[in-house]
Amino acid sequence: MFFHSVLSPQSSVLLLIPATMPPLVAFLVTFVFTRRQPRLSAGLSIGSIAVSLVCSLVLLGLNFKMTGPVQYSVRLLASSGLDIPFGFLLDQLNLLMIVVVSSICFLVQVYSLGYMAGDPGFSRYYAFMSLFAWAMMNLTLSPTLLQLYIFWELVGLSSYLLIGFWYEKFSATQAGKKAFVMTRAGDAAFFIGFLLVFLHTGNLSIPDLNGPAVSAAFPPTVLTLSALLIFGGIVGKSAQFPLLTWLPDAMEGPTPVSALLHSATMVAAGVYLFARLFPFFSMSPAAMEVFLAIGTISMFLAATMAIVSRDIKKVWAFSTISQLGFMIMALGAGGYFAGVFHLTAHAGFKSLLFLCSGVFIHRYGTNDVYELGRLGARRMIVPTVTIILAAAALSGFWPLSGYYSKEAVMGSLASLPNPAWLAAGLVGVFLTAYYSFRLIFILVLPRAVGPPAGLPAASGGGRKTDERHPNSEIRHLSMAWPLIVLTAITVMLGFLRNPLKDFLQVGITAGGAAEGGPFEWFHVAAPGLAVAGAVLAWVEFGRRGAKQIGFVERVPPLYRLFAERWYIDHFYRLLVNVVVDKGISYLCYQNDNKVIDRSIDELGEGTIEGGRIVAFLQSGMIQYRLLVIFAVMVLLSIYFFFPVF
Amino acid sequence: MIVPFGHVLLVAGIIFALGVFCAVVRRNLIMIVLGIEIMLNAASIVFVGAALRWNNLDGQTFVLFILAVAATEVSVGLAIIVYAFRRTGSFDPSNFNLLR
Repeated sequence: MFFHSVLSPQSSVLLLIPATMPPLVAFLVTFVFTRRQPRLSAGLSIGSIAVSLVCSLVLLGLNFKMTGPVQYSVRLLASSGLDIPFGFLLDQLNLLMIVVVSSICFLVQVYSLGYMAGDPGFSRYYAFMSLFAWAMMNLTLSPTLLQLYIFWELVGLSSYLLIGFWYEKFSATQAGKKAFVMTRAGDAAFFIGFLLVFLHTGNLSIPDLNGPAVSAAFPPTVLTLSALLIFGGIVGKSAQFPLLTWLPDAMEGPTPVSALLHSATMVAAGVYLFARLFPFFSMSPAAMEVFLAIGTISMFLAATMAIVSRDIKKVWAFSTISQLGFMIMALGAGGYFAGVFHLTAHAGFKSLLFLCSGVFIHRYGTNDVYELGRLGARRMIVPTVTIILAAAALSGFWPLSGYYSKEAVMGSLASLPNPAWLAAGLVGVFLTAYYSFRLIFILVLPRAVGPPAGLPAASGGGRKTDERHPNSEIRHLSMAWPLIVLTAITVMLGFLRNPLKDFLQVGITAGGAAEGGPFEWFHVAAPGLAVAGAVLAWVEFGRRGAKQIGFVERVPPLYRLFAERWYIDHFYRLLVNVVVDKGISYLCYQNDNKVIDRSIDELGEGTIEGGRIVAFLQSGMIQYRLLVIFAVMVLLSIYFFFPVF
Repeated sequence: MIVPFGHVLLVAGIIFALGVFCAVVRRNLIMIVLGIEIMLNAASIVFVGAALRWNNLDGQTFVLFILAVAATEVSVGLAIIVYAFRRTGSFDPSNFNLLR
């Protein structure tokens, strides 16, 4: 093994090792040595992620003025014509990402100290959290698609482990399995996609793929095809349209896991990959059009599902899908900065939303928003204030981070010649504000009326998630300060928009995204629609005497459609029934029974039958045998003693 | 030597043929064993005649062994036949064809 560097290695790259390795060490040490000491494991894990956070912040500070990517790699595997390096690629995008990942992981782990206290799997929980953080940070720093894919799968694995963390609960293991299998469907496409790329370029290096040389190596159709296949992985990971149903089910995991999963790690990996390969993807306008469409569809579907859900975590889960749809839309429209900035801002306020909801769930032991409201969730000042701020950021209210990122997204949509995309985005903004404030009003202003009886309890609450944790006021205080830090980030991030934009745009030439274009009016329309959504929520849920029945719930078929998640799960179940159970497995069963078993039976029976057929040659009479023997002897002796014959 | 060796061979051959005929034709297990004994004795006659013809006692020693073997063979054979008769109540060899 020898070291070689593509670009001049800078000393700052070496800082990446202390930035990324400690969580892995914590994971291994926890699993090997400290499983029996929960406090030690938690300390180890939090300490290691703190080291990572400090190192990433120092790196960001050192490299804030960097001009080009820095790569440092070791040859992992070399065969004829095949060279697989392993190492780090550091540029503006993943510098930002590791800061986001390590800070969110750090805050979530601190929060988990209170949330998971007393759980029998405490050490295991922290070990998996460390594994998750390590995998995600290395994913962002991968210089080749192969290395990225390895960590991509590790991220999938650790999210599977954490979603199914309470494995004694059947629904949790089912949800973990669902997440794993559905993302795997996308990953298979991703794998085929990068093999296709490899066949045409002989190289999986990300900077090379993003370079101009690649488009020369590809026929345009193959470029589009491989872009679409790689996008399949993004669809699975980021829970976009065809594969979106695993994310709401992933709510079976502990709430801090949802916070992590939905903001900085699992689902962000998909959008990150899009941003990472943004110049590559933008070489194929046809593929970009498809991405835009898929982002729009998922954004809209998930927003409608969020409107009718009563489960506080599921509302935020649907909203995550919806916001990821916004990011994919922005990137698909060529707005590189808009997508990445929305990802960053969303990581902040969505983890905040989940952590706040976690406090309520932990305190009152239910996921149902109506019940939480009735039980008096608003009496908890810190989470109530922070969840309102976070919901305002999610809806895009000035001056929170969501306002700026939404505006950037809308700007990139407005730069498209077709106004339909912008219109869809504006509808999304309206729906986002509506469902966020619907939840907030139900939570903060409980009314005696409640939801109408008779309608199916959609993805219903019930005391199911966290009943094993005893309530204690003190722990809720220890869970409060990560909320405050995240709120501060949410409030301030918007003002860092311009420096971040200058920072991120270095080196990205493709898709400059001239903001505005012919539709300048979106600057007014987007915040206006957000306010309109909030006002509609106020009229229906907030004002005195409101019946707390949404406009969708007045139309039962529509309500049922949304509550059943557009029947996507039903469709999948049908598909599994028809294609897998009645098709493939039936064929396999028949093959086993009719071909393999039958042929072996036939072989045995054929032998017996053959024996029976030949058996007539045998009379079983001993004297005939004797006669034959004598006859043969006589003939032989004649043959030998009388050579005349 | 009074009796020529050719006559001895002729007599032995006739007896052997009679033994073969008995073993093959008779439908009785005991008669089959009897036929085998007759064949053995025919062979013994040839051995004795040959010993006299070439003045070599090896042939006569051989006959002693043959007699001993024939005696054991008859006792074992008869025991088997008695057992077979007890099981099936028959001496007919065509009844003993389970292995076909």
